[in-house]
Amino acid sequence: MKKAIGLALAVLATSVVAASAQGAQKGSSAIAAGVSCKGTMKIAFLTPLTGGAGFLGNEQGSWAKYAVKTLAPAMHLKIQLVMGDTPVEQGAAVAQTLAQKYVGDRKVVGIIGPSTSGAVVAATQTFFQAGLAHISPSATKTDLTKRENGKLEGTPAFFRDVPGDYIQGPTDANYMIKTLHVKKVVIMDFQEPYSTGLAAAVERTLKAGGVSTTRLSASNTTTDYSAFVTKVPNDADIVFFPTQKPGDAQTFAQQLLEQGKKAKVFGGDGSNGPGQFKAPGSYVSNFAPDITGIKADAKIIAGWKKDNPKSTVGSFGPPSYGAVQIMLSAIKRACAADHGVIKNRHDVLRQMKRVKISNWILGGKFAFSTKSNDPLNAKFYIFKIQQDGSYKLVG
Amino acid sequence: MDQFTQLTVDALTLGSVYALIALGYTLIYGVLKLLNFAHGDVFMVGSFIGFGVLQLLGGTDNPVVPVWALLVIITFAAMAGCATLGVVIERFAYRPLRDAPRIAPLISALGVSFFLANSMQLLFGADPRNYNTFDLSNGALYLRGIDIGNVRVPLLRIITIVAAFVLMVLLWFLVNRTRTGKAMRATSFDREAAAMMGIDIDRVIVFTFVLGSALAGAAGVLFAVRVPTTVSIGFVAGLKGFTAAVIGGIGSIPGAMAGGLILGFAESYTQGYVSTKWSDLVVFSILIAFMIFRPQGLLGRPDISKV
Amino acid sequence: MTDSTPHSSSIPASGPAVGQDEWVARHAARRLMPVGPLRTVEERLRIVPWWAWLVLFIAAMSLLPVVESSGYVRRVGFDTVLYMLLALGLNVVVGWGGLLDLGYVAFYGVGAYAYALLDSDKFGVHLPTLVAVPVVVVIGAVVGFLLGLPSRRLTGDYLAIVTLFFLQLFQTVMTNGDSAFGHNLTGGPNGILRIDPLHLFGHDLTVQHQGVFAVSYFYVALGFFAVVFVALRFVNSSRTGRAWRSLREDPLAAEAMGMPVNWLKLMSFSFGAAVAALTGTLFAALNASVFPLTFYFVLLITVYTMVILGGSGSQPGVVAGALIISPLLEMLRDPGKSRIIFFAVLIGGVGLAARRSRTLGVAAAATIAFGFAVHELARAIDASWVSGEKAGGFAGAVDHWVVHPAQLASWIPPVSYIGLIAATLLVTTLHGRLRLVALVPTLYLSAFVWENVMLAKPEPARYIVLGLILIALMILRPNGLLGERRVEIV
Repeated sequence: MKKAIGLALAVLATSVVAASAQGAQKGSSAIAAGVSCKGTMKIAFLTPLTGGAGFLGNEQGSWAKYAVKTLAPAMHLKIQLVMGDTPVEQGAAVAQTLAQKYVGDRKVVGIIGPSTSGAVVAATQTFFQAGLAHISPSATKTDLTKRENGKLEGTPAFFRDVPGDYIQGPTDANYMIKTLHVKKVVIMDFQEPYSTGLAAAVERTLKAGGVSTTRLSASNTTTDYSAFVTKVPNDADIVFFPTQKPGDAQTFAQQLLEQGKKAKVFGGDGSNGPGQFKAPGSYVSNFAPDITGIKADAKIIAGWKKDNPKSTVGSFGPPSYGAVQIMLSAIKRACAADHGVIKNRHDVLRQMKRVKISNWILGGKFAFSTKSNDPLNAKFYIFKIQQDGSYKLVG
Repeated sequence: MDQFTQLTVDALTLGSVYALIALGYTLIYGVLKLLNFAHGDVFMVGSFIGFGVLQLLGGTDNPVVPVWALLVIITFAAMAGCATLGVVIERFAYRPLRDAPRIAPLISALGVSFFLANSMQLLFGADPRNYNTFDLSNGALYLRGIDIGNVRVPLLRIITIVAAFVLMVLLWFLVNRTRTGKAMRATSFDREAAAMMGIDIDRVIVFTFVLGSALAGAAGVLFAVRVPTTVSIGFVAGLKGFTAAVIGGIGSIPGAMAGGLILGFAESYTQGYVSTKWSDLVVFSILIAFMIFRPQGLLGRPDISKV
Repeated sequence: MTDSTPHSSSIPASGPAVGQDEWVARHAARRLMPVGPLRTVEERLRIVPWWAWLVLFIAAMSLLPVVESSGYVRRVGFDTVLYMLLALGLNVVVGWGGLLDLGYVAFYGVGAYAYALLDSDKFGVHLPTLVAVPVVVVIGAVVGFLLGLPSRRLTGDYLAIVTLFFLQLFQTVMTNGDSAFGHNLTGGPNGILRIDPLHLFGHDLTVQHQGVFAVSYFYVALGFFAVVFVALRFVNSSRTGRAWRSLREDPLAAEAMGMPVNWLKLMSFSFGAAVAALTGTLFAALNASVFPLTFYFVLLITVYTMVILGGSGSQPGVVAGALIISPLLEMLRDPGKSRIIFFAVLIGGVGLAARRSRTLGVAAAATIAFGFAVHELARAIDASWVSGEKAGGFAGAVDHWVVHPAQLASWIPPVSYIGLIAATLLVTTLHGRLRLVALVPTLYLSAFVWENVMLAKPEPARYIVLGLILIALMILRPNGLLGERRVEIV
């Protein structure tokens, strides 16, 4: 009796498995129908909203929301912005799962982000295979768009509106050589993708320029950098400190003073944080100039400030505004080309590269380079921190 | 030589904070035989309480009280806050499990640790909090100090080290020279026998949590006056503190102090002379070596299980 | 559900057996005797052998890709199967061996990295899947064995800390492994990319088909699951399995009876690690990339919650744990679903409890009335207090019940959240009438906090839920949903 029931169940179940495996193969090849441009379309933003880099995602998110709110009606589009959280602490698997989620949602026609280079690497294949364009406002790792070390980590579906570390590294290093006339530089990295890539790029240019360099690596659990400060030679001119936590750069600068070292801290785009990193005499580089100095942006800034009364304009926000602007323009072009219905996500992807923007939020005009999915003629800016903690553009 | 002196100062600052954390572990383990995984997160909460009170007092730009009073107040506030937190954790997460199999309170402790870290993130976000002690009296805490050879030991580090040692001496006095301390030691030696002798075990345990958590709170402030704190520092800090406690001999108070300092020296010298990347590996190797060759630690007594 | 332990299911028929305490057996039989209205159904169901249940379960699972064409849901389904595998492996160490292994997810990482090194362009090695997977499993088992060696003399808490350090060490080695001895072994923080997909029956298994998650991996994972489940079941009912249980119940007594305690510990470590490593190959092959930070503390806690919730020691239990927690964590990402889950749990919980005590039903009714009253009061004072975004849950009833201001003052989240914790703790200490009275505002406050504080930040909120589940389970029901209750012999 017992055996008979069991056997019957087993046969039944096996046939179900076989049947479902058959059916599933068919189901997955169904192509999503078109999306009407009159209805609501979605764009999703993958960025760290929580975790150590949460400040970055929240700043970017506020600008992206503002951009959708103001630009979409002007372009006669109904757009809903969906935020996806990719905390840097949890590695790349989160970005992959979220990518699946958005690919599975028929109404998602474009992606902003992922914001961090590691997450881009993890998610870009999924987006590419779905023909879904994604544009990051802050992932600067060189290998994402350029085949520099023989391996390309991005896909043709990946775009960015800020230049990569292949520009930032040499820009910073050349500034150190030509303007600061450095002899000895200590370069730190923090054993995560962003800093190791940037540190290597700076090191290469400095070495080529005949500067003596020392490389120090900190593990990702390091909280107290005292021992690193001790290792900085007394005659070092600069400590290149490409952290993603501006507060750490501040502490490092203070500890240098504490130990009577003359070296100044030089941070990358991740060290920008006027509230947190404000040690006078330090340098930071960034992909965006201070947009509060751009006259054409005054209206945008005022509007954003109204929505975010307690926040100050940082450097990560404006490129996110720009990324949304590019994505919306591509969607609009696709809508026009397809006569009001986006038949396929590829259509948006195809339009991305053709987008040109005349009043670019970071100043001047915007277009993509013909050789890669990077912005044309973009450059990095260098700021020096003043006595009162403000950032002054110096190069 | 200068580098050696400098690294030694670093090691002392680091080690005294580790020692304070380790003391909490050791005390609680002593009376309850429980590995309080949440201890590192109590430490983290302490650093945030310190930050909050600092802002209430006008922050470092514009303090409403003198600098010394400011430092004292934030330390005591953190100690008081953490002591309360410790008591609550003990009462609700550990006490119901006192007679459960040993694995149960450990898992509960993991849950508490995870709960605390994420609750703090929910309420206060993931942004690092910087005390900005450099702004106090124009950086005097950093730029003034005692010169040893060519190396200047800044005031802030001296304050950290001295404060930690004062707390340790106080604790030693409390445990070895008072009635409550005696009750603690008796409970730690044999809980059931102590109960039969008329010692109120619940009170002793609560008192232990008050002491241990207050020390963690103090450690949190002493740590965060120099380095920005985040909601996620508890995990690693707890791990280091526990290692220090094991090295010194868990359950032994002088052992925890020694263990903390050894760990501080090991980390600082490894980063200074060997490699900055692999210092965690060195710490781990020390721990494993102790586990294999001297499981009772430097100053602990061997554990004899009674049947 | 059949019981995973062999002795209890075989008792009623065969009577006392060798190697088994008669009293314990009778106690177990009594405890497992079905009671209540569903008694006959339950008795009938018990006739069905365990393997039929397993086949039925797998059949039900394999229907998922048929009824659901969304790539996201399929992906979550795949992740759930991975979690089921991880939970089965952890169950060997924690549930059967009674060892608190906090380095468990490192073995998952070991498996993923081992597969990545054996099947990618990294060193140009491309082993066939049918060779690589067994090799990885052996590597996992060996690493587990090696970690067990220094730990074999350690008891509960020391073992926990050594294994936790092992996890930390794994992180350090993987992130710094890009410059170990001058060679780039692990890709460091950049991980290893372009890992080969699994290659079975002459085909590369594709992960995606036009960007939609293809189902081949899902079925492969289910197959692995079935194999692991059956294999572990046989291990558990063998001599080793019985020895593990005695080790878990009382290591000292086990040693006194002449059992090779050290060897048994090493065995359970090895088995757990091997299962984790096997799961790691699937993870690496599917994602085509591995990064160090994936295998860390959050994942560890997640798998632990699954095992504890389901009932450590019971195979169906831990599988159920994974089946609940994995989709739950996904749904909590989405505020809409998160809200529904919260109110469903709230209503369900109160409803279940009210079955036992009539007064609780009164309290539930009072809470509902209380909510509408507070909501109306708030609206009367200041309309902006209730003008937050309308959620539309439960036909809009929730919108009229919970106060949801458009703009939260910055002091509200900490005060309400900490107040909620304090109120909850207070309720647990009160008794009788007082408790019921205190329960009403506490329940309402919990809804307020969930709506206004937790929903705004899904990421920490999800993990807070995990932490709470762990603490509450340990106190209220340490044996989990389906776990076997320990028989205490005094």
